[in-house]
Amino acid sequence: MITPSRKYAHARYRKPPKLHKGLDARLNALHGLYRRRPQLLRKIREQAETIDREADDWHKFKDSQLRNRLFELRDRFRRTRETDDDELVNAALGALREAAHRKLGLRPYNVQLMGALALNGGFLAEMATGEGKTLTAGLAAVLNGWTNRPCHIITVNDYLVERDCKWMSPLYDYCGITSSFVTGGMEPQRRQEGYAADVTYTTAKEVLADFLRDRLQAGLIQDPSRRLIRHLLGANRPGRDEFILRGLHTAIVDEADSVLIDEAVTPLIISSQRANQALTDASNLATEISGGFQIDIHYRLNIRYREVEFTKAGLEMIDEVCQKFHGLWRNPQRCEELIRQSLLAREFYKLGKQYIVEDEKIVIVDEFTGRPMPMRSWQQGIHQAVEAKEELEISDPTETVARRSFQRFFRYFHKLSGMTGTAREASAELWQIYNLPVVTIPTNRPCIREEKPDRVFLSADAKWKAVVEEVQRVHATGQPVLVGTRSVVASEKLASMLAEKDLRYNVLNASRLRKEAEIIAEAGREGCITIATNMAGRGTDIKLGVGVADFGGLHVIATERHESGRIDRQLFGRCARQGDPGSCQAFVSADDEIIKKYLSEPEKKMLRTALVSRRPGAAKLFAAALVRAQRKSERTAAKQRRAVLRKDVWLEQSLSFAGGGED
Amino acid sequence: MAKSSPTFSESWYRVADQNIRLRTGIKVRRQNFRGERWFVLENPFSNQFFRLRPAAYEFVSRLSRNRTVEEVWKECLEVFPEESAGQEEVIRLLAQLYHSNLLEYDVANDAQQLFERYKKRRHKEVKARFTNIMFMRFPLFNPDRFLVNSLPFVGKLLGRAGAVIWILVVVAALKLVIENWDALLNQSQSVLSPQNLLLLYAGLAIIKTLHEFGHAYFCRKFGGEVHVMGIMLLIFTPIPYMDATSSWGFRSKWKRILVGAAGMIVEIFVAAIAVFVWAKTAPGTVHNLAYNMIFVASVSTVLFNANPLLRFDGYYILSDLLEIPNLHQRAANQLKYFFKRHVYGLKDLRRPTDSRKQAFWLTFFGIASNIYRIIVFSGIILFVADRFLLLGIIMALVCLTGWIVVPLCKFINYLAASPELDRHRTRAVASTAILLGGIFCFLQFVPFPRHFRAPGILQARERTQIAVKAPGLLDEILTANGSRVTEGQALVQLGNDELGLELTAAEAQQEEIKARLLQAMKMETANLKPLQSMLQAADDRVSKTLEDIEHLTVRARQDGIWIAPSLPDAEGRWLARGAAIGMIIDPSEFEFTATVVQDDVDRLFTDKIPKAEVRIPGQAGEVIPIGALNIIPAEQRLLPSPVLGWSGGGEIQTDMRDPEGRTAAQPFFEVRAEVLEDAGQQLFHGRSGKIRFRIGSQPLLPRWIRRLRQLLQKRYQL
Repeated sequence: MITPSRKYAHARYRKPPKLHKGLDARLNALHGLYRRRPQLLRKIREQAETIDREADDWHKFKDSQLRNRLFELRDRFRRTRETDDDELVNAALGALREAAHRKLGLRPYNVQLMGALALNGGFLAEMATGEGKTLTAGLAAVLNGWTNRPCHIITVNDYLVERDCKWMSPLYDYCGITSSFVTGGMEPQRRQEGYAADVTYTTAKEVLADFLRDRLQAGLIQDPSRRLIRHLLGANRPGRDEFILRGLHTAIVDEADSVLIDEAVTPLIISSQRANQALTDASNLATEISGGFQIDIHYRLNIRYREVEFTKAGLEMIDEVCQKFHGLWRNPQRCEELIRQSLLAREFYKLGKQYIVEDEKIVIVDEFTGRPMPMRSWQQGIHQAVEAKEELEISDPTETVARRSFQRFFRYFHKLSGMTGTAREASAELWQIYNLPVVTIPTNRPCIREEKPDRVFLSADAKWKAVVEEVQRVHATGQPVLVGTRSVVASEKLASMLAEKDLRYNVLNASRLRKEAEIIAEAGREGCITIATNMAGRGTDIKLGVGVADFGGLHVIATERHESGRIDRQLFGRCARQGDPGSCQAFVSADDEIIKKYLSEPEKKMLRTALVSRRPGAAKLFAAALVRAQRKSERTAAKQRRAVLRKDVWLEQSLSFAGGGED
Repeated sequence: MAKSSPTFSESWYRVADQNIRLRTGIKVRRQNFRGERWFVLENPFSNQFFRLRPAAYEFVSRLSRNRTVEEVWKECLEVFPEESAGQEEVIRLLAQLYHSNLLEYDVANDAQQLFERYKKRRHKEVKARFTNIMFMRFPLFNPDRFLVNSLPFVGKLLGRAGAVIWILVVVAALKLVIENWDALLNQSQSVLSPQNLLLLYAGLAIIKTLHEFGHAYFCRKFGGEVHVMGIMLLIFTPIPYMDATSSWGFRSKWKRILVGAAGMIVEIFVAAIAVFVWAKTAPGTVHNLAYNMIFVASVSTVLFNANPLLRFDGYYILSDLLEIPNLHQRAANQLKYFFKRHVYGLKDLRRPTDSRKQAFWLTFFGIASNIYRIIVFSGIILFVADRFLLLGIIMALVCLTGWIVVPLCKFINYLAASPELDRHRTRAVASTAILLGGIFCFLQFVPFPRHFRAPGILQARERTQIAVKAPGLLDEILTANGSRVTEGQALVQLGNDELGLELTAAEAQQEEIKARLLQAMKMETANLKPLQSMLQAADDRVSKTLEDIEHLTVRARQDGIWIAPSLPDAEGRWLARGAAIGMIIDPSEFEFTATVVQDDVDRLFTDKIPKAEVRIPGQAGEVIPIGALNIIPAEQRLLPSPVLGWSGGGEIQTDMRDPEGRTAAQPFFEVRAEVLEDAGQQLFHGRSGKIRFRIGSQPLLPRWIRRLRQLLQKRYQL
């Protein structure tokens, strides 16, 4: 039987940290700097070394003895329900290391211990890919599992959820805790069981969806204290009390930057579809009407802010349209809005760049990362306008029942921690929004990646030509090449250019996702050429083929800089893993989008003159300009995310008459 | 936010199926502002108001228990397709109503949130109290019941009969005031003297209490509730206040105006009665108290209450008259809009007003009220600082923070981070920098001719006093004032009959002595000597008398201009010997004797030889050129002419003890300026005028700083 107080625990989650403003925000940022201070890493390192020194003691234990000691530790953790006693944690990690060795055949390196310590301390551990993050998370999860508080390990996809859980479960069993996983398509019953385990592997999508369903069940009264009081008073029960989750406490998020930053504002929507003939008709009609609008005559574009500005002629035309049709179109504002959306869809939403079409449906491609985001949809109207443009069936606007962005959701965890290969660039934002300090864990073996200086070109054409030549050159040496492109269109273009040279290659992009595993498996083999948009397998390694290390390992070519330095680093991180050799180089040009979008006209002009003059400093100047542009874009994006969160919080507070009111 | 909010909102689901409606008991009133219709929602429990557009009101009024928000929204779309709000707007509207506690909904209130909101509000109130250090308010009790109970007794006075009485009393009092204007003015000099302060405060307290009751009764009479009465620290002076904001809900603007003006109406009435008391009593406590009440009522009405530039009664009255609510805010918005639009180039801002005329008045009001506010508050701060230095400094700091530091920080923040400026940031920052830099450079580096003025008097350099040498009645003025005379020319004819008699007597005596001398020669030679000396004396007497008679005709002693402006007044009067009747001046050389106060005099010493010019009132168009300056480096108190002093109509404060009015209250320096000969115009001796010293050029900013430092130094020895 579930006692009322347990129900209380199931409905409980943390009140999110305050979003600071003005001077408070500055102070908070300083606090964040303090929490990221380098001394912390030293402390973690020392702690890991202490554990390492005592490793031999554990080694001597017999199996049954080790198990007994582990159970003892479990009891101690369960009593305090906290994991912040350094001595206890040291002992526990020492024992776990030995247990992992015996049960999984993997003996965690010191850096993995450091990672586990960081996760346990509520940090975002920046660990290079291939450093054994799964095991690191497992170690930290055991500590949390022992406290019997819900511990969720959030990974990227269902495949990894299942794999990691199965992989680690011998360790969990050995330590006396239960583990389970939740993936898409599971029945509520099985989900509940999954979450009931001490450690649960799942994806962000699943856990958020279950959380929202629980909220819906909870009905109007969400606050656990008020629910408990009602229950104890025997008053009419607000909603059913069968929650699927058993509360939120600890989360260990893998690829934390993609979840917490890149997809942060993507809302998860629980919805039922509802026909809206008016919107469907309006979208089709708007596309038809907007066909008569011509650029620079009726409207102008603002590229940086992605806006359409109507000229006088355009406005007159809208007025005319207003007269012609009925209903919605009679209101000039609405009319303008619809046509504007249609024009936006035409001018700024391009197939292969912002979206791809899959199964007669629009799938949005994230512009930051180049990954397809099937869950996403654009705001009401735009989505339909794009569909109308592609002459697809207009999808009915979904009727939202519950909706929450990942950003807001992850603020509910009492103890949030995460791992990723690239987080430094976003450390300020991670602190500001999640109170999550970043700590960079060194690699186990020194990284011998050779980062060649950028090659700079005046025009995109010159750049592409050089890329092809470079691919040819490297290919001739037998080194495998991975070419990263920013968009699907670019990857197809490069593919055709390579085909002209009779080179064999594989293309991995948002519209050819199926063969991902195969292509990745092949990518590290001798002489293999792979073209990939920046989606190529997070969480899976490109393993070097036999003998490839002798050629110098994988060579990565970036054909453009991304909007964030993080994504660049992710691409470069594909090579030279775990101490393997590898090299990388970026090809950039003054025509690149990031330059166009984020630098001012005078800056662009200066760059061009510098490049034309071919002075030696030009490349340096260009590099500096790129850094500046990336900073600017990162800042803009972070600002947008913050604004979304702020608006969410405001709404929550202002509409608390409609139930809820968590923030 | 956006220019026009989108039709569809992602958050719509949050409200779509809700059954929310306006709280029961909410009063709705219709108001007209500049021909636009508005609806005012009033929550009687919290005394909060909310103003709605008709379209929004149509929506809100349709909300009911058995309909969802979505249903209502759709209905509105059908009924008013052209003005109905988008989903985003509806959500915002509902949120605002919720924050104003105007909504009723099925979910029990989230107590925690309620408390948080309450805490936030308290926080704001406390903060407002301390930032408004000049008008701190402390609510004490609820006077509503008292007002309701006592209204029947005073109610009649608030009607037509009251108006008639008011007019009669005030007109009669005005008459008295005009009759006793001088006395009233005279007494004002001692109002701020320490002995009077207590009475002044008593007058203030009485007047202001009645003033507040005026508001309260009028408000109550029209049905508004008055729930808060308390003490306001007006510049640290406790006076009562009442909260009559419920009048904002009145439908008729004239009622609102009347409530706003009620305080002043009462105040003036009380002051009128005080005028009678004052006029009919002899000096004493009652007399003085009445005087203080008159003083308070008139000064506070003119400076504060009736003045729309500060946020007192007059402001609200004007705001109602113009039918522009939130005049202050709107004016500020208008100024901001103007700036953002034309300086920063933000094109898609919403215009605060569509009417050009209104825009003009808003701009004018915004600028004028700011300037006036600064002047009044600076005055108050200086006044307070004169008496309590520390308090003055605190007030100055608070004002400085509130008016300069905080807005500056906000402005910087706006420049640095406002999303509104995202696309114009470079231009905004640049134009701000250029503007500020320009102003600074202009003030700091562009020299402006410096000058200052000093009063003085025009005098001929050589002037000979003409005095009466023989006493006599002024018979005839032979030479008119201002005419050119030559030496020996008769100026004035005195008459003295006594001198004729004296001459006769003296001649008779002379004859007698001569006769006696002849006799003595024959008979008694011993008497000869004394008689001879007596004869001598008698001769002297005759010649002296003859000389005096001669002197009855006063003559010019030198060539020049005969100046005797006041002589005609003395005609027929007796002039004693030695009385000055005029002077003869040399018209070719004039000088201007100026009196320069201490503050300015160092500028004369520090700078190089200043240039100067003199203007004489009445011939201001013409400038008298000045040559060399002679500064007499010693403090003086005796004015060169009584004309310059207060008692002579001049501007220099004179010492009251001096009946002649020639002693200045403050020491000054005398500067003699030589008037150049080719003046080319008529110069008159003894005319007062102004000398204008031009002492090089200097930029404005250093000058202002110097002035400020001088002010602080002089007042507070800082």
